[in-house]
Amino acid sequence: MAKSDDGIRILQGLLVFGNVVIGMCGIALTAECIFFVSDPHGLYPLLEATENDDIYAAAWIGIFVGFALFALSILGIVGVIKSNRTLLLVYIILMLITFAFEMASCITAATHRDFLTPNLFLKQMLERYQKSEKDNNNDKWMTERVTETWDKLMLQNQCCGVHGPSDWQEYTSAFRSTHSDADFPWPRNCCVLDARGSPVNLDGCKLGVQGYYNSNGCYDVISGPMNTHAWGVAWFGFAILCWTFCVLLGTMFYWSRIEY
Amino acid sequence: ALLPYVPRVPPTPLLGKLTATTFTLERPRGVFARLANASDTVWLVVALANASDTFRNPPSRDAVPLYEQLPTAHAYMTLETAVAAYACSAPGSAVLRVGGDTACGEQGGRDPCNGPLPSPGPYRVKFLLMSCHGPKAETRWSDPILLRRGTGGTAVPPRSPTPARVGCWHVVL
Repeated sequence: MAKSDDGIRILQGLLVFGNVVIGMCGIALTAECIFFVSDPHGLYPLLEATENDDIYAAAWIGIFVGFALFALSILGIVGVIKSNRTLLLVYIILMLITFAFEMASCITAATHRDFLTPNLFLKQMLERYQKSEKDNNNDKWMTERVTETWDKLMLQNQCCGVHGPSDWQEYTSAFRSTHSDADFPWPRNCCVLDARGSPVNLDGCKLGVQGYYNSNGCYDVISGPMNTHAWGVAWFGFAILCWTFCVLLGTMFYWSRIEY
Repeated sequence: ALLPYVPRVPPTPLLGKLTATTFTLERPRGVFARLANASDTVWLVVALANASDTFRNPPSRDAVPLYEQLPTAHAYMTLETAVAAYACSAPGSAVLRVGGDTACGEQGGRDPCNGPLPSPGPYRVKFLLMSCHGPKAETRWSDPILLRRGTGGTAVPPRSPTPARVGCWHVVL
């Protein structure tokens, strides 16, 4: 009897430890997802205009799942220490539901990363940047936000276009229909601007002289944070799920061993 | 007199040297020194490539075909400049931008307009040295210059008069 008693004690200890880790990871997941949802790089309007912002949905689910994991881990610790069948049953059921939600969030984040290609942003930029005729209110608002985001991106990161300023020369765009090619081979924000916001050398910028225009593309600046976001939500979530799976198995085994 | 110089698009990698409505040329330096007086002017002749053979140098400044006549004459002359700007040691940029002035082209103006080109071309250009008595010397025709196609857009350059603009091609590189 002493031996199985010891065994149960060890199992209890392991389950408590497992639940502590789940609780901490839950808090970390909530914090990480809040960080992503707060959009520190200001890229959300670009995603919103693609009409497919599922990685944001995944982050929102992550916030609530993280909090649920924390609450459930406390329930689990109490249930294990008190060896209460009811508490542990409630814990197992709720944990399975949370597991399912987190699985959905991770898979969404992981698969939607493939959706974010350079061509997606190029098409959106060419169609929406500085578009003048707007179809309806929703369209107008999206266009304004995309234009604002691109202007800010090009100014702060010294970049131009998705692949480079040649995007504005190689493809037609909504911008081209309101800004003549002779005056604006590329938007003004692609020029190197001085402190007051006017180009340092406008003619040099129009010609494409090094030092007076931004010759890099902005794709790295866009995709970097978005990839981090998607991978962060997906892989941290998968890691938590693996650990939670083990703890759940242990809890079910423990639950089956408790005598009434 | 026929000078052996051939105008060309600069070989340096400038992203904006050929757009849908403008192109850039190397500035010829010291090409006219031998023949020119201080009062002479150098014009740039821009002609559609298939009309370059039929172009006749205008006998006087009054007969110069201007930018507005490009659709009918298939050629025009622009960038009227004092010959001193093309001396060997002249300051200023190493390139000339053709088509960069979107504010000119007002009806009735007699000033040579360097307006955006209305079609992708191809165009051929040559420099013409004119004195008060008429043409004095010319360079050879350039190779055909083809502009970008399909991306010209529908934007019409502004027609309203703007305050005096410095010539677009006076760039200190």
